[in-house]
Order: sequence, then structure tokens, then C-alpha cells
Amino acid sequence: MPDATVPPEVASRSTDVFTTRDVAVYYGQFRAVRDVNITVHKNEITAFIGPSGCGKSTMLRCFNRMNDLIPTARVEGTVSYHGVNLYDPAVNAVEVRRRIGMVFQKANPFPKSIYDNVAYGPRLSGIKKKSELDAVVEKSLRGAALWDEVKGRLKSGGLGLSGGQQQRLCIARAIAVDPEVLLMDEPCSALDPIATARIEDLMQEIKHEYTIIIVTHNMQQAGRVSDRTAFFTTEVNTESDRRTGVLVEYDQTSKIFSNPADERTEAYISGRFG
Amino acid sequence: MEELRKGFHQDLAGAREELARLAALVAELVPRATAVLLDGDLEGAEYLIRGDSEVDERCVELEEHCLRILALQTPVATELRQVVALLKMIAEVERSADLAASICKVARRIYGHPLDPKLRGLIGRMGEQAQQLWVAAIDAFVENDESKAAAVVDMDAYLDALQKQFIQAIFETQSHSSVDLQVAMQLAYVARFYERIGDHAVNIAERVRFVVTGWVPDHRKPERPGVDVTGGFEIPTPGDLPEDS
Repeated sequence: MPDATVPPEVASRSTDVFTTRDVAVYYGQFRAVRDVNITVHKNEITAFIGPSGCGKSTMLRCFNRMNDLIPTARVEGTVSYHGVNLYDPAVNAVEVRRRIGMVFQKANPFPKSIYDNVAYGPRLSGIKKKSELDAVVEKSLRGAALWDEVKGRLKSGGLGLSGGQQQRLCIARAIAVDPEVLLMDEPCSALDPIATARIEDLMQEIKHEYTIIIVTHNMQQAGRVSDRTAFFTTEVNTESDRRTGVLVEYDQTSKIFSNPADERTEAYISGRFG
Repeated sequence: MEELRKGFHQDLAGAREELARLAALVAELVPRATAVLLDGDLEGAEYLIRGDSEVDERCVELEEHCLRILALQTPVATELRQVVALLKMIAEVERSADLAASICKVARRIYGHPLDPKLRGLIGRMGEQAQQLWVAAIDAFVENDESKAAAVVDMDAYLDALQKQFIQAIFETQSHSSVDLQVAMQLAYVARFYERIGDHAVNIAERVRFVVTGWVPDHRKPERPGVDVTGGFEIPTPGDLPEDS
């Protein structure tokens, strides 16, 4: 067992950021997803695709222990982050979520100013000096390709921005605490094509600094932005009639969309059956 | 599970059928061009040469059809490979129909020059073999059959051998001065045309393999058995000596 107190960056220089072994997630008695074995690589964008209920969002939430916040949820198997078991009791879940940030389907800015939205995390982590905060806010807003649009009105409310801007504000807020990984749960599903293209461009720009995992229902988006794609589907248990998500295929995105190995992947991405 | 995107599937099937029809047309054109050449049928030559523009038009329409599918349906996986393969195959069909027309043009140019029986026999066999290659390639395409596609590659070796024999035969008749030089050159072209028609059928078969497996033909490394990348035009020198053993 690797020492959980060693900073992950030091513990491993490998390009593997996450490695999961036989992961299954339960909500009470209900098994939402099972047998997930996957390796997520550094500075890559990994896309999770699959029909509703296939466990892709559940799996995404395993990577920053968001499932801990759901009382009945239970994770089996191991999720390693740079070789450290994320679910080791010695691991601090808050620190996990600082290193592994998350952007949600619906932009959820705090009812505060643009500035305070971005400065929220850095303040929590102890940055008090205004000049330092200013620098972090500008850097983060620039990183989220939002600076030029909002630099004149940092004190106005974050909720007054357009949907696409709000989503980029949430990305700025996520990167303000200098995470290594960004988890994105359908970040563009509420956005129009232009705002979507901005987020996609942004993902390409920032992937050199971050490792990104994105859950998306938009297969073209997975094809456009990701380096690797994992396809999940649901299996119906004939006895209980309950559905469990399974990982069907995980490969380079170009391979998944030009010549997938599994028939179920092919049928899903070509929209042949539903 | 219920089938989705039925309209798209019908659209793609329609494009594939049109390719099959055009390829079948080539398979018919080849023996007709051979007959025109052997019979010195000027009227038939005219008819086939004019008919080539209709093939060209249908090829352009099919290409536009494929572009529409790509633009509007964004196919992926097998369907993507099918559309990409169709686009490549259209070019093979179009070129082969041109070559059949070129054989008819040769028929016009050598009109009035009787052909040596040995050359006639070889022209007939090249024509038959080229047609066989197309029939086999169409079969492989329609059935998406990888092993049938592989057979086309093997069949092509025989056509290449016939072409070499034919060139040799031209040199032999030339040495008896029974064929005039211009006619000999035209006939050498004809052999080349049949050989190319065969190669286009092989290319179609290779694209069938691409559709089925995702394998991309790599022409930097010729792996077809019996293909001579020099084009097979070996010029025999009189009094060639057997190799020292």
C-alpha cells in the first residue's frame, strides 16, 4: 500500500493519473456500475459515453469521492490516484476534491460577484492578500477564456452572465484552486453550439495543464475533444430486472469512432439501436 | 431493440446499390470493348465512347450523394468506412470505364490492320480475365466478403502474366515484321489498359477489406502477389543467354 501522505506528484511520475481495479458502485442494494477497469492518462481528455443509466456519471464521481456525499453510496474495488488509493481512510476527501475539480451539467455560480466566485476556493485555502487574490482571479479567468469578456465588471453578479459564460466561470472557479484533474459532467448539454464550441476549444487549450475526464451524451463532442473514449452500457439482470452499468470498450477515440472492437459500441455510436 | 435511423440506412444502402450497378456496368463494358477491338466494329466503338460520359455523370452524382451522407448524417465506424470506401471506389469505376473507352479508341486507330491470331487469342483472354476480376470484386463488395476480396488479388496475378505474354507476343510478331510499329504500340497500350482495369478491380476488393476490417491498403509496400511494380515491360534482348548456373 503506497503511503497516503506522500504528495501524489512525488509518489509517481508515471503518466497514469487514475487506475481503477474492478470498481463497482452501489446505492444501497442497487449496483449502479460494475467491473470498471480503466487507466486515465495525464494531460489527456478522456470521454465517458453511453446511454442513460449506464453508470458513467456515477463512475466520474468516484474520481473525486463525490459519491461520499450520498449516504447510501458505496464503492468497491480500488480507485488509485497516482498509485494512492483514493478511498484509503488516511486520505482527506477535501484535499482530493481540491486536486480533482469538478464542473457540472448546469452552471452553478454562487450568488456572488464574478470575482468572489473565483476567489472563493483560494480564500478557503488561506490566501488573504488582495494582490495575490487578484492575480489568481485574473489567471483563472484567463485560463477559462473569460477574462476579456468580464474584466470590466468583476464586481457584478456571476448569475448575470450568459449560460456559456456561467459555465466558463465555473471552470475558472474550478481551476482557481490549481487542481490537477478536471471532471466535467455534461458541461455543454445546456449550452448553444457557439458556447459549446468555446468550452471545447478551452478544453483543448487547458489540457496541457490538466487531465480532463468528460461525461457527454454528445458523441460528436466526444469525437471532437477527447483522446480516449470509454463506452459504458447497461445490462439488465433478468432475475431482478434491474440495470447495471458496465464498461464495454475503452480505447483511443479515433479507434472507437472508426473501427470499434465491440458490436455494442458500434451499435451505440452509429445510433443504430435504442 | 428497435432499429433507429432507418432513413439514413436506406440512403446508404441506395448509394451502395448504385456503386454496384456502376461496377456491373464496367463488367459489361469490358467484353463489349474487347469485341469492338477484335471485330474492328467502328460503330460499336463510337457507341461505347459516347456512353462513357453517362458513366462519368453517374459517378459524379454518386460522389455528391456520398458527400451529402457525410455532411448530414456524420456516419461513424462501419458506416463511415462504407462511405469513405464508396468515394474511393467511384474513382476506380470511373477510371475503368474510361479505359474501356480507350480500348475502343484503339480499335479506331488500328482499323484495317489485321491482327495476328496469337495476339487475338491473348486479347480475348485478357478481356475475359479483366471481366472476371470485376465480377469477383462486385461479389465481394455486395456481400462484404473479405475472403472473396482476397481472391480478387490472386486472380489479378494471372492478368498480369497474360499482359507480359502479350507484350512478348508483340515483340515476336514485330520480329517477323507482321505488325507495323504504330499498331504494335497501340496494342501495347491495350494490354496496359486491361492490366489497369484489373488493378482497379483489385483496389475495389482492397476497399472491401477496409470496410470489413478497417485495414488501410498501403501501396508503399506492394504486398500483392505477382505484381511487378515496373509495369512488366521487360524488353527481351535478342540472343538472351540462359543464366550461368
